[in-house]
Amino acid sequence: MQELSPTSLLVLVPLLPLLGAILTVALGRRLGSKAHLPAMAGIAGAAAVAVTLLVATARDVGPARGHGAEPVRPVEMISTLWQWASFDKAYAAPPGSPAADLRLESQPLSRDAALRPFSIPVALRLDPLTATMLTIITCVGLLVAIYSTGYMHGDPGYPRFFALVAMFVFSMSMLVAASNFLLVYVFWEAVGACSYLLIGFWFTKPEAARAAKKAFLVNRVGDFGLAIAVFLLWMTYGTLDFHDTISSQGVIMPGILGQTRLADAGGYVGGIVGTAICLLLLLAACGKSAQLPLHVWLPDAMEGPTPASALIHAATMVTAGIYLIARSSPLFMPCPGALALVSIVGGTTALVAALIGTVQNDLKRVLAYSTISQLGYMFASLGTGTLLGFTAAIFHLLTHACFKALLFLGAGSVMHAMGGVIDMRRFGGLRRVMPITAATFLVGSAALAGVAPFAGFFSKDEILAALHAKGWATAHGGHHAAVDASPFRPASFAGEASATWGPTAADPVGLDALDSPATWQILFWMALVTAGLTAFYTFRAVFMTFTGPTRVPEGAHPHGGHDTHGHAHDSHDHGSHGHHAHGHEPQGHVSYESPPAMTFPLMVLAVPSALIGWLLFSTNWLGHFLSATPSFTATAVASTATPHAFHMDLAVQGTIAAAIGIVVAAIGHLGRRSDGPQLERFLGPLGGLFANKFFFDQIYAALVVRPLEGLAMLAALFDRYVIDGVVDTIARIPLALGGIIRRSQSGLLQRYALAGVLGVLAIVVLLAWQLRP
Amino acid sequence: MNPSASLPLLQNALTVGAILFSLGLVGILARRNLIVMFLAAEMMLQGISVSLVAWSRYHGDWGGHVLVIFVLTVAACEAAVALVFVLQAFSRTGRLDAAAWQSLREANVPRTVDHELPPIDTVPPRFPTLTPAGVLPPEDEDARLERDHV
Repeated sequence: MQELSPTSLLVLVPLLPLLGAILTVALGRRLGSKAHLPAMAGIAGAAAVAVTLLVATARDVGPARGHGAEPVRPVEMISTLWQWASFDKAYAAPPGSPAADLRLESQPLSRDAALRPFSIPVALRLDPLTATMLTIITCVGLLVAIYSTGYMHGDPGYPRFFALVAMFVFSMSMLVAASNFLLVYVFWEAVGACSYLLIGFWFTKPEAARAAKKAFLVNRVGDFGLAIAVFLLWMTYGTLDFHDTISSQGVIMPGILGQTRLADAGGYVGGIVGTAICLLLLLAACGKSAQLPLHVWLPDAMEGPTPASALIHAATMVTAGIYLIARSSPLFMPCPGALALVSIVGGTTALVAALIGTVQNDLKRVLAYSTISQLGYMFASLGTGTLLGFTAAIFHLLTHACFKALLFLGAGSVMHAMGGVIDMRRFGGLRRVMPITAATFLVGSAALAGVAPFAGFFSKDEILAALHAKGWATAHGGHHAAVDASPFRPASFAGEASATWGPTAADPVGLDALDSPATWQILFWMALVTAGLTAFYTFRAVFMTFTGPTRVPEGAHPHGGHDTHGHAHDSHDHGSHGHHAHGHEPQGHVSYESPPAMTFPLMVLAVPSALIGWLLFSTNWLGHFLSATPSFTATAVASTATPHAFHMDLAVQGTIAAAIGIVVAAIGHLGRRSDGPQLERFLGPLGGLFANKFFFDQIYAALVVRPLEGLAMLAALFDRYVIDGVVDTIARIPLALGGIIRRSQSGLLQRYALAGVLGVLAIVVLLAWQLRP
Repeated sequence: MNPSASLPLLQNALTVGAILFSLGLVGILARRNLIVMFLAAEMMLQGISVSLVAWSRYHGDWGGHVLVIFVLTVAACEAAVALVFVLQAFSRTGRLDAAAWQSLREANVPRTVDHELPPIDTVPPRFPTLTPAGVLPPEDEDARLERDHV
């Protein structure tokens, strides 16, 4: 470890994709169809470094000792690259705030010396959470990049696509590695920008351009929340750093998530300010992770290229909200109401999105709604505010990244082969013509549905366990009661607390009433119902796409079809399967399978989708590893640790729910009935509600979009007629004056001479007048 | 003191100069024939030159004389250039009227038109003719050779 410091390696993770992106931009046109090379090399290097870092961090954390809930030493490494901004004596902390906490400055200070420094170090951190996220981002990014060489082949924007993907990997790895809320905000915006550019990749398509704009604007609402949260954090804690720093006077400045504050049970404020910060962070997370009020952008984001959907809108970027809340977990701990709200938002989103997903006929949209639903699961898990809940959310994030990337890439493979058609009613029985895609898609679906040995089963089980533990606290040894009694409300500031900062203002809005066992019980049942729905819509999609009589839409070509988006037609031969039909059914044996560049990532992703859940759960490796994250070693979080256990009753319940879902899907859609109207008949009027996505778009159009458009039209009219009118009037004055003088321009020589003579005369007269004696 | 540098002499010379200048000025403003206007401009130059010489003599300073010589030289060059212009203008339009050139006027100002000129008498003049009479004199060879023009 000494010979190659992890902190210096950490810089390489964002740096290599950035270099790849720059090189792709610089050389893209010259490289032509090899434009993916620099970007892919950068991402591959970053993936290798990330895995190395994961191993190094795991070695630092050390092996798990038994199934213990024993305290774990926090593991973090900070490398400060440079100071972005640095001011000594920048501001005075408001009295009574934790920033003004003088426990670390023993002697009374003069007014000048009491001014605090302000600095924004560009610092990267390495801890278990970051290492996990980096590994997910770079590995999925690499597979998606490999896949894209097949999928995007011949697209006129080929270099642009890879530059954007590399840029995204850079931004996302910086987002999870940054050790400063301001940097987090910067890269929060950067991933949003990359997402915007990739959704609108085919910007000549009006739907894509509109979807990109919608995603950007909806995200802006969440970003607004994050900006205000950052301001509030600075006002409250006097710093934006995660880690502790030492000021130029040698004073330790406790960072927001630094060891000093984490070890202090009362280091975090509750009350109005604490709740406000948490709610604003929740708003930000809702925007990026497509949670309920702000989820409308994600389904539309499917207008982008499918690999981008897989990478950004399924596996990585949308997990930024999960990451943010997990990272800020100590901030949430003193605010049980805000935590409960996180869960309520998540649980409701999971259920609503699953309901919408059941009636979608667009394969990619089914997956989009399932992404929203699964992210809702993670939020529900985070909101429990227990160590189990946080690690379960990250666990589910990890497994979800694998199987959702797999499912999206599989859907892209289907779309590629079907000539750009993604409506499940227009094809069927594809398992005979796309065997690899069908098999891997089935693995991903089983993982998503929570079928027993596959990845999703274990992570979903942990989430259900976390919710169950909150709902039926006594059955789990009273941890919930301990949290409810709130010994972690800020106590250290009681002496100097004003009404604004102190615990007297706790629960100012009655939000904490949400944190009751009944809430958690309802959430648990909602999650269970969602599990059944998930299994239903997943297998409905599988049955509609891959079973029944083989049908392909017109315009699909064997051996890798073409997207509607201008793929070059010189790539027919890369689907290497035999072209000649050697069976009796004319359609059944023509291969539509995608090229190896696309099936290879599918096969690679199928392995973790199948196995990683069992591997990580049986060894409790991830749970133990993540518990060494500094944020999770905060007293309030770490004290909720429970022994690692497999909950047979919950597993049975989850499996029953999944089984019901699969059976119902099979009844409705398996085999010859794959495209029947049974579902519509069964749902009746509810189907219309689901198909219209609970009218969210219409409500937003009526409440937000139309009034804003009206306002914009008023502003445009004001601009055109009032402001432009004034300017035009002023412009007309010299024109009118000139019109008067213009008439004297006759072009006659004598007139000009006369004017000259008169002018000279006037000068002479003037001079004579001035020089008069 | 130089007796010729007397005040009356200066006054006379300046008067002549002023008269020349004014005549030139009036000529430029009032006449439309380009050549006449050019002559008028020359006349203004000469008026100035007379004044310069007069002042120069009055002050006993050669500077004015030198300047006048210089003005004469420049005026000669200028005359050459200006006559070329006039000739070119004439060959373009067949007229020497300054009012024929009005293209510098603003686009929306109408062309200045002269007062109606009296119509040209189109009836060709009848000249008296002599009835040939007498004998044709014999052709004189020498006279034919010595004719001053052919």
